[in-house]
Amino acid sequence: MMSMSNFPLAIIYVLGAALLPLLPRRVRAAFGLLVSIAAFIFLVNLETGASLTFPFLNYELMVCRVDRLSLAFGYVFVIMGFLGGIYGYHVKDTLQQVASLLYVGSSLGVVFAGDLFTLLFFWEIMTISSLFLIWARRTRDARRAGFRYLLVHAFGGSALMAGVLLHLQQTGSLLFTHFDGGVASYLILLAFTLNAAVPPLNGWLPDSYPEGTVTGSVFLSAFTTKVAVYALARGFAGLELLMWSGAIMAVYGVVFAFLANDGRRLLSYHIISQVGYMVCGVGIGTEVGVNGATAHAFAHILYKGLLFMGMGTVLYATGHNKLTELGGLFKKMWLTLIFFMVGAFSISGVPLFSGFVSKSMVVYAAEMEHFGAVVLLLNLASIGTFLSIGLKLPYFTWFSTDRNLKPEPVPPGMYIGMGLTSLICIAIGVYPALLYNLLPFEVHYQPYTASHLVETMQLLIFTGLAFWLVIKQLHVADTITLDTDWFYRRPSRLAFKVFSIWVCQLFEAVEELSIRFARYLVKVGANPAGYSVEAVKNAGHILLRTEKPAPEPPTFSPDRYRIPLGFMVLVVLLVLIVILTWDFLF
Amino acid sequence: MKRYRLRAAVATLIIFIILDIAIVSGHVHIVFPWSHVPGFFSFFGFLGCLAIIYGAKLLGHHWLQRDEDYYGKDDEHE
Repeated sequence: MMSMSNFPLAIIYVLGAALLPLLPRRVRAAFGLLVSIAAFIFLVNLETGASLTFPFLNYELMVCRVDRLSLAFGYVFVIMGFLGGIYGYHVKDTLQQVASLLYVGSSLGVVFAGDLFTLLFFWEIMTISSLFLIWARRTRDARRAGFRYLLVHAFGGSALMAGVLLHLQQTGSLLFTHFDGGVASYLILLAFTLNAAVPPLNGWLPDSYPEGTVTGSVFLSAFTTKVAVYALARGFAGLELLMWSGAIMAVYGVVFAFLANDGRRLLSYHIISQVGYMVCGVGIGTEVGVNGATAHAFAHILYKGLLFMGMGTVLYATGHNKLTELGGLFKKMWLTLIFFMVGAFSISGVPLFSGFVSKSMVVYAAEMEHFGAVVLLLNLASIGTFLSIGLKLPYFTWFSTDRNLKPEPVPPGMYIGMGLTSLICIAIGVYPALLYNLLPFEVHYQPYTASHLVETMQLLIFTGLAFWLVIKQLHVADTITLDTDWFYRRPSRLAFKVFSIWVCQLFEAVEELSIRFARYLVKVGANPAGYSVEAVKNAGHILLRTEKPAPEPPTFSPDRYRIPLGFMVLVVLLVLIVILTWDFLF
Repeated sequence: MKRYRLRAAVATLIIFIILDIAIVSGHVHIVFPWSHVPGFFSFFGFLGCLAIIYGAKLLGHHWLQRDEDYYGKDDEHE
């Protein structure tokens, strides 16, 4: 029976999204917040261990399953939905409002899904609803990036569906639990890692997220990848491949982020890097590892949302988002800088900010299992994160060359949204128990030890010193960076050439040829005799070097080509002679 | 100016090496090869930062960075 303890939260958001367009325009944003608050009330009433099943065709679907892992993700998703709603309170675009509600709802649907059909169902709604947050920007680049996003995720969705069906056929069970290998699980793993943007399946993320609307990208940054982390944690915890991919991915993200010119693209690459920590934690698979991945997802959703809010505010106020077009905003947008720096310190793992207490848990998990290389890779990624987000991005946006930008006033909701998110980031950093009490397993980890503090401060301060030394040599350029999306963006031009242009050209050539042939027939048909005469004369001209013949008239005139009577009599006589000779001889 | 920066860097390094020897060494429970090097994370942070900057620049300059209209050339077909 459905009750408060096993209520599927997605229903609230879906109902909210359906009702929202029917309400008067000026109360829609407030209604969106109300939906989040209602969902939060239902969320705190969920009970660990509760589940809700209902029969569908021949199967028992488990549309809601509550345990500590899903609850931890559920909390942060509902909170982020609320904060995003405040930040986007000024938005009057119904499409964005409906899409963001559906997006949050379907993410919660996946997180609380107990069976694979429910998971697949919400997985696809997530793709579609997030797509509209990109398209809602209504620029040509956004439209094109959206189409690519759709195609990539349609591929992922198909892999997931194939995997689920195969899994059902092999095991007879639809329950979403740990997978034990085999083709079906690899297909599902492919779909999960695609959504988690594990290289080489990462191209879609930095391609599409910077093209979303100002508020849309705040939502985008939070959900898709973290839902995938949740799915990996439940289905594939302890897969060593994931640990190595995660560690490499963390460094991959920071290297590409350093090359990015678009502010929100730089942040997008840091999503890849940060999700690398989570994937790594999941891959380690111990209680500390999964705890670390969950804690980092929780903290990351908030500070990454905050960073996207910060850069989004700059984009909203100035209309620019590229480092080559920004600079010198310090006096005009100092409040945004403060909020942005809270996010930047959190993602860099500065003590007293949220990243410090979550990131270190993943590193600690790797230390406990004695994976030295992983520890070093994760620390290297940490350096790159502080370099790009803590130093480079704010330096080129708020300081550096003053480009005399005239920022427009920013709605108060954006500041309130950033302020609240900053508060939570600091609260988690100062009082980690807030976060640790929500984690799936009991936490025996203490981030604030003297040795950990000394290590972290060394990393951060010397990264800062190195940046300070080479700051004169750093300059931003008006370029894009090739990534794995190259493999479907460049060949797409070839495919377009082969399947569209070449086919058209072939059709054109055949058409041209048949028209020419028809013209030729018409010409010959108008004066067949003249044509034959001309052909013979021409052949003579070429072979026997006779005089070049005058052209024949285009139309047939019987008098010109009438054969002389004497010639005909000669022919008849010759034929008669031949026949008579034949008769006489045989 | 350059001198001042260098002095600041060396002073910080010395402070951290002392802190490392006083607080960290001998107190860590999980031992890695670098646990015995005082100030390891100072060097790691400094060199790692330079490695990322120049590594990324090298990759970008010779291979990955292209003009902004690199993908945009097919626009004429739209």
